[in-house]
Amino acid sequence: MAIAERPAARSAVTDSAHHWLPNFCSWPVLFALVVIGELVALVVVLAASDTRIPSWQTFGTASLFVQWLAVVWTVSLCKARPLLLRLAPWMAEFAAYSLMLATTAAASWVVFAIDRNLNLGFIDATADQWRFVLRNSVICGLIGGAVLRYFYVQEQWRERVHAEERARFDALQARIRPHFLFNSMNVIASLIRARPAQAEAAVEDLADLFRAALGREDARGTLGEELDLARGYLRIEQLRLGERLRVDWQVDELPRDLELPSLLLQPLVENAVYHGIQPLPEGGVVEVFGSSDGVIVEIRVRNPCPPPAARRGTGNGVALNNIRSRLALHYGERAALLSDDQAGVFECLLRVPLQR
Amino acid sequence: MRVLIADDEPLARERLAALVADAGSEVVASVENGEQAVQEADRLRPDVCLLDIRMPGLDGLDAARLISALTDPPAVIFCTAYDEYALKAFDAHAVDYVLKPVRRERLEQALSRAGRLGANKVDKVAGTLGPHRQRSHICARVRGNLVLVPVQDILYLQAEDKYVVVHHTKGQVLVEDALKGLEDEFGDQFVRIHRNCLVARERMAGLTRGNDGRVFVRIDGSADVLEVSRRNLPGLRKLVRSL
Repeated sequence: MAIAERPAARSAVTDSAHHWLPNFCSWPVLFALVVIGELVALVVVLAASDTRIPSWQTFGTASLFVQWLAVVWTVSLCKARPLLLRLAPWMAEFAAYSLMLATTAAASWVVFAIDRNLNLGFIDATADQWRFVLRNSVICGLIGGAVLRYFYVQEQWRERVHAEERARFDALQARIRPHFLFNSMNVIASLIRARPAQAEAAVEDLADLFRAALGREDARGTLGEELDLARGYLRIEQLRLGERLRVDWQVDELPRDLELPSLLLQPLVENAVYHGIQPLPEGGVVEVFGSSDGVIVEIRVRNPCPPPAARRGTGNGVALNNIRSRLALHYGERAALLSDDQAGVFECLLRVPLQR
Repeated sequence: MRVLIADDEPLARERLAALVADAGSEVVASVENGEQAVQEADRLRPDVCLLDIRMPGLDGLDAARLISALTDPPAVIFCTAYDEYALKAFDAHAVDYVLKPVRRERLEQALSRAGRLGANKVDKVAGTLGPHRQRSHICARVRGNLVLVPVQDILYLQAEDKYVVVHHTKGQVLVEDALKGLEDEFGDQFVRIHRNCLVARERMAGLTRGNDGRVFVRIDGSADVLEVSRRNLPGLRKLVRSL
């Protein structure tokens, strides 16, 4: 139950993390802007140096102007961030960009006016106010665009690292259910005394399962191996659940030598037991039907399940999503995993092409 | 010591029974779900109940709550394979438990110090596991025997004098709970249609208007029609439309 409540809070966090906009209220971002501003000032001053040698004074004035602008941007983007995050990403990007251009243009206009009216002489006497404003705006437009792009790429990269971490964690969780391990150990412990041969077989099946589960994510096997694995899993569960778990296999049509990513079928069968048979006092039948029409192989796993109101814990979405993403990775659009949950019956349909 | 074992897995029961016998205690009953555990505990009066937590239907925690509420209740020891949350809850409230596969010494230790477990302690554990954990079954006594009705089988609840009549798919039983308390506990599954009546949302088949203008609720799987009070009608109309 405690787990079920978590996703809402988590998705709120990822929603804002999905956003490309960095947190301008942080020191690293402010520092980055100050450094970039200083570089721009230096480039501007050097670029104008072919007619006369740049003075420290010119550089100082330019720095002052640029730094002042950088601080204005940082503060205004920091304050506007909650508003920007509410917009669609492209609109927020446009708004931030416009904000930078507008402040630059306005500041240039004001600075020029002050310089002329007070006769400070910081700005070249031959300069024209409109050209001054236009020049600064264009420089800001180019550099500002590059800076925003830089933050965007950085944010995307961070998001991808997060997503990969999450996916790896989910996959790990989907592959090993501690409950299953300890219950199986318990079964073996009770078999050892009375039925040592069965205990031996159970240890072998368990070893096969863990070899597959602890293998590499991208490991490949054949459909035959996958079927054997699922059979071994169901044998252990039948020892555990006794007559409550009955299995109906109709898979003679399937090509056993078809290559496919490992652990596609076993998790489906495991879900059928874990979410379907185990919570039902009277148990039920897990049906596995396989068919092949020469182009596509279809495997259907069907099981009874309790009504949604009586289910406990989280659903089986994690395992299904893990299989879906691996199918997409290996086959693109040509493979699919469909699931259907209604009237006390849960059904999964796995569809894989015969040709890679 | 007389011990009751409840586990849905036959081999787990077998092993536990062997270990209990090794420890010099007597297994008085070995049952496969929570309902049977509560009924047998009430009938056979064991000294200790060994309850698996995950069982279909009534689970170990719910069964423990009902068992601890019996008069002169037996001690309860939980058995579990792996339940991160449950283990923390047990440790926090000093409830005894053994981990599967069960070690003989550990079981002997647990049996020898099996203390009585108050219902309030089990309530606390269950409370740690889920803030709004509802009972999955309602417990009633019929001619001296305990009867457990799964909440999902209940059609409607009707208050009569000091009792509430629980109408369910297989008949009806009397319970001593107050209708208000039941409404507070199961408010998300039941809806009030009258001062004296709560109906399971899932079971409502529709509304009918009688010749005299009164409105009734039809129930799935029952011929009963229940009158809706004028006060509850607007809310109920809205609910029926949204179903």
